[in-house]
Amino acid sequence: MALFGSLFCRLVLGFVIVFLFLPILIVLTVSFSSSAVFAFPPPGFSLRWYASLANADSMLQAVWLSTQIAALSTAISLVLGTLCAIAITRGMIPGAKVVATFMASPLMLPGLVLGIAFLQAARDFGLRDTYSTLLIAHVVITMPFIMRTVLASLSLFDFAMVDAARMLGRSYPAALWTVLVPNILPGFVSGGLFAFIASFDNYPVSIFLVDVRTKTLPIQLLNQVEMSPDPTVAAISALLILGTIAALIVCDRLVGLKRMASI
Amino acid sequence: MSQQATALPPEAEAQHEPGYLAVSNVTKRFGAATVLDSLSLSVGRAEFVSLLGPSGCGKTTLLRLIAGLLAPDQGAIEVGGRDLTRVAAHRRNIGVVFQNYALFPHLTVAENIAYGLRAKGVPKAEQAKKVADALGLVRMEAFADRAVTALSGGQQQRIAVARAVVVEPSLLLLDEPFSALDRKLRETMQIELRHILRDLGITSIFVTHDQDEALVMSDRIAVMNEGRIEHLGTPSEVYARPKSLYTMEFVGQSSRIGGVVTGGRDGLVEIDTPFGLIRAPGHFLSGSKVVVGVRPEAIAAGEGPAGEYNTVRGTVAEVIYFGSRTLLHFRTAQDDDRLHVELNRLPDTVSPGVEMTVRWRVDDSRVFPAPAGDDR
Amino acid sequence: MTLARDDLAVASTAKPARWSFDAKALIAAPGLIFMGLAFAVPVLMLIGDSFVDRDGLSLAGYRKVLGDPYYIGIIGNSLQLACITTAVCLAVGYPAAWALARIRGVWQVILFALIFLPLTVSIVVKTFGLTIMMRRDGIINFLLVNLGFIERPMRLVFTEFSLYFGMVNVFLPFMILPLYSVMRMLDPRLLDASASLGAGPVHTFLRVTLPLTMPGVIAGGTLVFSISVAAYVTPGLLVGDRFMTMSQVMAKAYLNIRDFQLGASMAVIMLVISAALILASSYLVRTPGGERR
Ligand SMILES: Nc1ncnc2c1ncn2[C@@H]1O[C@H](COP(=O)(O)OP(=O)(O)O)[C@@H](O)[C@H]1O
Ligand SMILES: [Mg+2]
Repeated sequence: MALFGSLFCRLVLGFVIVFLFLPILIVLTVSFSSSAVFAFPPPGFSLRWYASLANADSMLQAVWLSTQIAALSTAISLVLGTLCAIAITRGMIPGAKVVATFMASPLMLPGLVLGIAFLQAARDFGLRDTYSTLLIAHVVITMPFIMRTVLASLSLFDFAMVDAARMLGRSYPAALWTVLVPNILPGFVSGGLFAFIASFDNYPVSIFLVDVRTKTLPIQLLNQVEMSPDPTVAAISALLILGTIAALIVCDRLVGLKRMASI
Repeated sequence: MSQQATALPPEAEAQHEPGYLAVSNVTKRFGAATVLDSLSLSVGRAEFVSLLGPSGCGKTTLLRLIAGLLAPDQGAIEVGGRDLTRVAAHRRNIGVVFQNYALFPHLTVAENIAYGLRAKGVPKAEQAKKVADALGLVRMEAFADRAVTALSGGQQQRIAVARAVVVEPSLLLLDEPFSALDRKLRETMQIELRHILRDLGITSIFVTHDQDEALVMSDRIAVMNEGRIEHLGTPSEVYARPKSLYTMEFVGQSSRIGGVVTGGRDGLVEIDTPFGLIRAPGHFLSGSKVVVGVRPEAIAAGEGPAGEYNTVRGTVAEVIYFGSRTLLHFRTAQDDDRLHVELNRLPDTVSPGVEMTVRWRVDDSRVFPAPAGDDR
Repeated sequence: MTLARDDLAVASTAKPARWSFDAKALIAAPGLIFMGLAFAVPVLMLIGDSFVDRDGLSLAGYRKVLGDPYYIGIIGNSLQLACITTAVCLAVGYPAAWALARIRGVWQVILFALIFLPLTVSIVVKTFGLTIMMRRDGIINFLLVNLGFIERPMRLVFTEFSLYFGMVNVFLPFMILPLYSVMRMLDPRLLDASASLGAGPVHTFLRVTLPLTMPGVIAGGTLVFSISVAAYVTPGLLVGDRFMTMSQVMAKAYLNIRDFQLGASMAVIMLVISAALILASSYLVRTPGGERR
């Protein structure tokens, strides 16, 4: 009976993995199809959709914009969030628990609600520049990921090391930089990776903030899927998937995947 | 242990011109709690002073104030005539060995030691030489390129010391550096550290809650209690002539007998205790409630000449055998009164319940006012 | 990426030191000020907006939403979507997470990575893949026909089947990972102990396994429910206007019909649902039997 139970569970697990990978594999397959229709199985193999990417200007612009926004917002969140997390961990500010929850709470709000809030606020404050509005919103989106991982890393960090560095002649900021930063690097890497992915992949917030000429990749992709789905979309998606896997492998080499996921 | 302390060269104290480190009237509060209360401490150059007290009495706080990691609410801190009260921690040139060493796990042993030299901008070649010297000092030459996480507790301890002294600090602070080591290792490290620091001639403040450690290592001991220094003196002074009941009880074993002064003359007082009349040196008004303290090793079995000795009879409550010596406990109805007697050789007849006569020199008795709330 | 939202009570890592001002505390200022202005203020303004129309204070938005069976139905749709998605994810995710937690060694790492990887793939990309699968000439129909379940390909796009298939596909890892992290901590000897005391497998499951894994169930359930109740991309692409949800209404209110009060009211209602859910789950994990940490 127990044997049967564990066999059943393993079967479900196998089924789940196949199930989860189905749409991803489909996209990869279609991107190599020789045909413009998505029939299964595909009639032949070709790289033409990858070649046609070279001319997909609006798509490439969107990739570039999303990369910038994700990288910048992650970097800003890393700096602001880490400083805040230090103050929280060290009990430098009152109500540390409330502050920590507040800084991590954008993750708990529905994305569309956040997006609407940003849209309204940008209008009310007269903020017209799409790029900066997007960037500010994405800092808010990425902040919780940084807070969570950095707070978790800091809880394992011995702050006596910072004191030791100061007693050896480094100012407080220099001590943080030379001792704290290298020691919580795994937290930075995993938090930064999740933050980057969250920003790069964000649809519900960005949809309210983009304009005709400034579109992030998820918006542009969805547009294309709705308007004129062809394997070019699959090709760019395939590249995204490969890029993600590459990033995961690099980060895994740096800090270990299990460690990233468990934080 | 008292032998070791008294074996220090008698001029040890005289060598240290006082006032190299001067902590004057320092007060530190955390919110409503006053952790240090107008505390003053003066330490001579190259002196090794221990701060001894129970945990929570403010030892670490005092150390962090001297280091500059905390700012005092009142008072001043000077080292070598320079007022450091408002100087940032990283400009004080004070070395610290932390309780859990606080070694940098992302750096190797050698890089840990070089950290302070780099911060001070010492040229590379000189760095390497100083690091090698420091490693030699703590006998860790072979470990230069190891990861610090791969070291044992005692080895980490040595690296922490090397890292702190390699920058030639004007003062070295050590916060319970041996608390994470097992007893055997702790004892070797105590002696070794003492030798290293004496050779280097570094002025050191050493925090501990372990009285044996303080007695073994220190030139002087500052016994702390609730944010104040109760007694500052050489180990033998602190042990043999404690200034307060607190010091007497915190440092070493002691017997404690409550009583009321009934009279006195010639610098001696007579005290009525549950064990009978006891005489001790001191000046107290008749009727004062006092506590008499005696070290167990000062007490011997049998009667002594009446003029020089106190002789009492009591019932043995407990016999504790230590091998080289035996401790006898006498108790009275009041549980708080206890008489500990340390005997090198145990008379065959002694066992719990037996009546016995013991004696000690009148001069070996210390009298202190009874603590408030001690109403007998 | 969000593994267990109630872990957000991360502040337990903070030392409960009594506070006294320290100039170093200023390092928190930039982040706090930024989040105050860029996050708290807009959300508060949105809540404020829902109570205001052109003539000042009004509850017109709420009256419109809560008084109109059409909108009530839409709220019902969102809740139904979230409930079914959560239930299916739990039913499938529980045994899968159990197997994942019981396997040891290198296989655990590999299988864990395989569950984790799809999470990092863009939702738009996955949903795009799903729409291709659901086509008349897609893989689902291909399999169904070739396995002999149906004679001719049937229409799957824009059906509720494709909706739930897609929702579960996208959100299942959010259920498995919190379950897994609780089950991994579970001491297998407890189960042996229960069995050795003569308890049957069903009894062991109900009296030992389930109560001990309840925190994972609550964490995963809360997470999946709260993201699927607010899901927008997946339902939008898979069923579109045939199955209107609160998210669709909010997006339309702002992007098409420009009825801001309607959108704001809907947003606040969704906010209340999310907040209630999070409070409920943090209450549940605190009650005995559901203890965490
Ligand atoms: N940062 C702080 N905030 C509030 N109270 C503190 C702080 N640091 C120490 N204390 C309190 O001050 C007292 C003395 O602490 P400490 O100096 O660490 O004692 P010791 O080192 O002698 O064990 C303790 O009661 C402790 O609770
Ligand atoms: Mg201490």
